[in-house]
Amino acid sequence: MTTEALYLQQIINGLSLGAMYALLALGFTLVYGILELINFAHFNVFMVASFIGMWALELLGLSGQGVILTGFALVGALAFGFVVTMVLAGLLGVAVERIALRPMRAVRGTAAMITTIGVSYILFNAVLLTVGADSKNYPNPMPDMHWDIGGATLRLREVLIWGVALVLMAGLHLFVNRTRLGKAMRATAQDAEAARMMGIDVDRVIITAFFLGSALAGAAALIFGLYYNYTSFIIGYSAGLRAFTAAVLGGIGSVTGAMVGGILIGLIEALGGQIVSVRWDDVIIFSILVLVLVFAPSGLFGRPSATRS
Amino acid sequence: MAGRDRAAPRRGTIGAETFAFLWRASPVQWIAPHWRPRVAVALVTLAALVFPVLHRNDADIDSAANALAYAALALGLNIVVGFAGLLDLGYAAFFAIGAYTYGAFASFQIEPSWSPFWQPFEALGLVAHIGDVVHFTVSFWLMLPVSALVAALFGVLFGAPTLRLKGDYLAIVTLGFGEIVPIVARNTPSVTNGAMGLNGVAAPQLFGWSFGVDATPYYYVGVALVAVLIFASGRLKSSRIGRAWMAIREDEIAAAAMGVNRVKFKLLAFAIGAAFAGATGTYFVAKLQTATPEMFMFPVSVMILVMIVFGGIGSIWGVVVGALILQMLQSWFLQDLSQWLHALGRLLDVQWLQQIELVQSIEMIFGLILVTMMLYRRQGLIPATRNVRALTMAEQTAQVELAAPPPVERLRGDFTYCGPDPLLAINDLTVRFGGLVALRAVALTVPARSVVAVIGPNGSGKSTLFNAVTGLVTPESGSVQFAGYPIERLPPHVVLGRGMARTFQNIRLFPNLTVLENVMIGMHARLHAGVPGALLHLPRTRREEAEAREHCREILALFGNRLTPRADHVVSSLSYANRRRVEIARALASSPKLLLLDEPTAGMNPAETLELAGQIKSLHGHGLSIVLIEHKLDVVVSLADNVVVLDHGEKIAEGPPDVVRRNEEVIRAYLGRSASLGNAPQESAPRGSAAIA
Repeated sequence: MTTEALYLQQIINGLSLGAMYALLALGFTLVYGILELINFAHFNVFMVASFIGMWALELLGLSGQGVILTGFALVGALAFGFVVTMVLAGLLGVAVERIALRPMRAVRGTAAMITTIGVSYILFNAVLLTVGADSKNYPNPMPDMHWDIGGATLRLREVLIWGVALVLMAGLHLFVNRTRLGKAMRATAQDAEAARMMGIDVDRVIITAFFLGSALAGAAALIFGLYYNYTSFIIGYSAGLRAFTAAVLGGIGSVTGAMVGGILIGLIEALGGQIVSVRWDDVIIFSILVLVLVFAPSGLFGRPSATRS
Repeated sequence: MAGRDRAAPRRGTIGAETFAFLWRASPVQWIAPHWRPRVAVALVTLAALVFPVLHRNDADIDSAANALAYAALALGLNIVVGFAGLLDLGYAAFFAIGAYTYGAFASFQIEPSWSPFWQPFEALGLVAHIGDVVHFTVSFWLMLPVSALVAALFGVLFGAPTLRLKGDYLAIVTLGFGEIVPIVARNTPSVTNGAMGLNGVAAPQLFGWSFGVDATPYYYVGVALVAVLIFASGRLKSSRIGRAWMAIREDEIAAAAMGVNRVKFKLLAFAIGAAFAGATGTYFVAKLQTATPEMFMFPVSVMILVMIVFGGIGSIWGVVVGALILQMLQSWFLQDLSQWLHALGRLLDVQWLQQIELVQSIEMIFGLILVTMMLYRRQGLIPATRNVRALTMAEQTAQVELAAPPPVERLRGDFTYCGPDPLLAINDLTVRFGGLVALRAVALTVPARSVVAVIGPNGSGKSTLFNAVTGLVTPESGSVQFAGYPIERLPPHVVLGRGMARTFQNIRLFPNLTVLENVMIGMHARLHAGVPGALLHLPRTRREEAEAREHCREILALFGNRLTPRADHVVSSLSYANRRRVEIARALASSPKLLLLDEPTAGMNPAETLELAGQIKSLHGHGLSIVLIEHKLDVVVSLADNVVVLDHGEKIAEGPPDVVRRNEEVIRAYLGRSASLGNAPQESAPRGSAAIA
């Protein structure tokens, strides 16, 4: 491969990673926008969802990369996988909110965030103790279709990932900006107290934010499995931190910011691994996180709210 | 232990009467109450000292020595999270820094080639000349404080960028640093030997005798380390430094307004917390004789956090107990329980019971503990704040005694300013929030020993005026001179130091601290104890503390028997009026020359208002100058020499009270246009009409 082709390949990879991080980042940003809460449970809701997706596909008789589908069968199987994963992941997010976070809502300070760390640990270990520590081969019914673009390879799975991510993000955008509940969400994000006094059911808005965010994490989780062909109990932490960094980089609380930030982090990871070294990937990501928080806490699109008044 | 003798009477839930009975029947009653904590500490110390003698199992002593290391870490994190309220999710980084600092200077990892440069170090015994390379052999005992110092420097380095950040963002940045440190360690094998782990870290030596691999000497070093850190934590907590930390934790803005230098004390908390971890890292790596980056990753930081949440955030004995219990759970109890389950499985011939390994589920248990404690018992096993006996009915309904004459002699000198300039001179002060002009070219002079009232409708800029004068808000233009010196660019804590103290319209006390602690924080700027003074209880510090306590009690006595009987009560349990009084007392404790009171009588009934007005008057009689924001005009008339009226950020009138209250423009500002024409129904502006009446 020529150097140009190598970089082009990394850009393609970066866009795929970015699409996944963007979907995952939206969950952080939706919840933060409304509750000002950094939800560590989101990391492992994503991880659990990747297993849900795996089981959903296995329910269709798919296992490993042995069974290949085409045409409507492929579309149907994937649609089934996405719908089941997103709905169940969404419900898991709602359960987390309902059981662990709602009682903490009146508590000031970082107590709620500490609780989400605990929830994240519980999800993590629940999977570790039941499913086991070895990584699982992910069912992937996609045919090995690919195109050659300037020396780089564009695979069907990448096109599919971009397509799904675009549809979901467009859908979320329409939901937030065009529906009644979306308007209620934006109002609550601005001022929850005022929204409540205007007759908005804030509990419902919060539940919706958790459902949508977790459902998008579900989509990201299935994309992860289809992209890497494996899943494991440890995938939540590193993907989650990258997505969180994406949300911060875009401006936490901003839906557009999460999308742009996700793509940027995906590109940075792919190209950074190429240019520097994969060993320093995490340091690069964490440095971005720290630098953005310290020097530009409102990110690219966010409201300035990270510093104390 | 302090926790034990308090435990019984406090539980109000299950079997409270049984507890109470056991408590009364227990041998603890034979010991005089003020001796109990000392006896408890002595017993715990004794138990810790004889444990390895009585229990001669090397593996168990080794587990105990490890547990002590985590107790030391919990104590350090408790300084940062518990005292100063700064959530640190990357605390293990400092543990790593301490460990690798010792590892670098006492192992075969770094071996530069020999040159005469090393000669003096060899003479000091810091390095050895082996073959043609230098071998570092710095003593463990020297490295303990050195590692603590190195970690403290990193604490300041990592703490500095987070100072402006809100709690959750601060946590994320610390998490970032916490992850970066072990990755750097893994990726720089020349110093750390990367993932393989440090090579041959030297065991500590004492008078030429090496500790070797026997667990007992390490255990005793661990006991000593934890004892020293408990002692240091206790001394710091009850000092001026601890009070400043807790003030920042409770309300940062109020802490700054009461003279606490936020930057300095936050960094101090980071540094001391990191120092604890640095020393512990040295202890731990000397004991283990290797170190790998995996020992310092995020799960370790979380584990320490779980320990302090479990034991009680901010509670010294609580975090030690929390750390010990969780470590013992991990290394003893879960293993035993697994063995028992295996035995049960063999007995019943159940296969899966024989394969259960509960130790693997320790992180699950951590998660469950974290969530359960947060939902049901946030104060932890041994809460930091102890409950104080409630006042009896008689005390609560006691006749208010106001006649107690304030100790005039003590207070007079403090309050009086006798310079040539006016005490406060504000000129042309403009404050802008985005597009909104909150104050426009306001001028105001407060002569020494006068009372100036600032009145005006809601939103007219009165509180903004106070914020701008005290440094909480930066004015766009204009000058503020206090006793002849410009102060408009000074941070709030410096302004307080110059002699200007304030109260807040919506009361900003430190809610979880006692009345006395709140007032003591007011004295922060007048006290001088630093870390050495706090740790060593130097005579000077002890005297200063005793005098400060005495002084604060005198100030509480200014309010008759309102506050004195409640001195040890947590302020959040006080009535609204009493909280207002505490806030005034806190401001007075800073010995201000000028006191800014923002609606001191808001929410008080007429009798209480009258009482407070009398007290303010008597303070003025002691030479204190006062600026007062007030809506109740009868208070204004009875106290103020001069009244300034603000409306929409501009001064619209100024003069003696009875002139101002007849001013057409003032009446219009308060009651609206029609009222000034004399035909407004009284009900149309209840607040204004009450004020003017």
